[in-house]
Amino acid sequence: MVKNVKVEVIGVEPPCPRCQATKKAVDEAAERLRKAGISLEIEKLNVLSKDVVSRYGVLVSPAVAVNGVVKVMGRVPTAEEIQRIIEDTLK
Amino acid sequence: MEQKTIRRAKTSLLLLFISVVFGLLIYSRIKAYSLAPTMKPEDFSKYSWYEVPVYFLWDYISHGWICLLFAFVTAGLVYEFVPKEIVTKYMSSSKSVGYAIGAGLAPFFTVCSCTMIPIFAGILYTGAGIGPAITFLLMAPAANILTIMITGEFISWEIAGVRIIASLITAVLTGLIISRTTWGKEVERKHQVTSQTLGIAQQATEGTTVAVVKPPLDDRLLSALKFGVYLARQILPYFFLGLIMVSYVEAYVPQELVEGYLTGLTGILLASVIGGPLYTPTLVEIVLGRSLLELGMSKAALLSWLMGQPYDIPNMVAVSRVVEWRVVLLYALIAWACSVTFGVLYGIITGSI
Repeated sequence: MVKNVKVEVIGVEPPCPRCQATKKAVDEAAERLRKAGISLEIEKLNVLSKDVVSRYGVLVSPAVAVNGVVKVMGRVPTAEEIQRIIEDTLK
Repeated sequence: MEQKTIRRAKTSLLLLFISVVFGLLIYSRIKAYSLAPTMKPEDFSKYSWYEVPVYFLWDYISHGWICLLFAFVTAGLVYEFVPKEIVTKYMSSSKSVGYAIGAGLAPFFTVCSCTMIPIFAGILYTGAGIGPAITFLLMAPAANILTIMITGEFISWEIAGVRIIASLITAVLTGLIISRTTWGKEVERKHQVTSQTLGIAQQATEGTTVAVVKPPLDDRLLSALKFGVYLARQILPYFFLGLIMVSYVEAYVPQELVEGYLTGLTGILLASVIGGPLYTPTLVEIVLGRSLLELGMSKAALLSWLMGQPYDIPNMVAVSRVVEWRVVLLYALIAWACSVTFGVLYGIITGSI
């Protein structure tokens, strides 16, 4: 069975180097997880948008939310870290 | 089991490196070795034009490398380990908490406008309002860890301390004033998503919207150092380029000119006006300030010069995308007036005006 996980990468628009690095880590994690039968639906959100603020409050960018919960904030995660977080979410 | 051992070894290695960096700074203190450059403007007269920047750079790097290394490592560690959820949890709770967090935590949260503007907008949207948002915005560049440490080591800890206190008062005062103006209130009305704000803070505390996962220590240390390297890569090229330009200022700008224009009330006004637009978030303003001080600028003018950075132009342009220009100009004007006032006060107290 294929499991779906929604991952939101929250950063500034236009993306700063740190937000780009975060997106890259998430993409890399997605690549690895696909092999394990987990498919990621990755979305890029603008930290300045009111929609993001009204859902999550004040965030320190870059941030990563998994299934609507912010798991990483204000730092660039590694691909392994994202992978671990997603695996833990599914447990 | 094996993975655990590797992790432990990695953690020890990283901690060892960090201890060495901290140890170097302490050792240089004990030995009373100057981390600030030691050459005086008159030393440069014997060098030709192409030798000036070489000796100037060497003077800075040979003395300053410990300090720079320490500053970047510490900055990386602080930004990695400071719990950022605090902002989400408490920022929208009440105004006074908002001011306290805006002023007190700003130095630990930002080094570049890349993270500063989003937090500014977030604070504004979620109910703490424009006052704390402005306080945060003005405090963040004025008192970030890199700036304070370099100011302290390269110029003096007295001026670094005065700068923090003066910036703090300026930031809170400007926030309070703006929040009471009709323009400020209008911005708040337009931007707040008030009906939901209490809910957000509540949810964040309960962990339904924000539940930050902490990675293992070795990963955190490594990412802290990586961030330090990232900061250094962003800042140092401009810093060294800036040093080359400053070397010519120190070598060729006549002392009479600096003593004539950058002292007294004119000096304060002039320093505060050019300090803002010339500010680049690359620490060059500190080096240039130091050179001008060596050439005879008053300490009063130096304070105004260093306080000019919250109203630098790129920053104002970025903020103007969130709030209207008139609010931007208003806070810049108040911050400028404060920098002049503190310059004068500091000059009177220290007798260097």
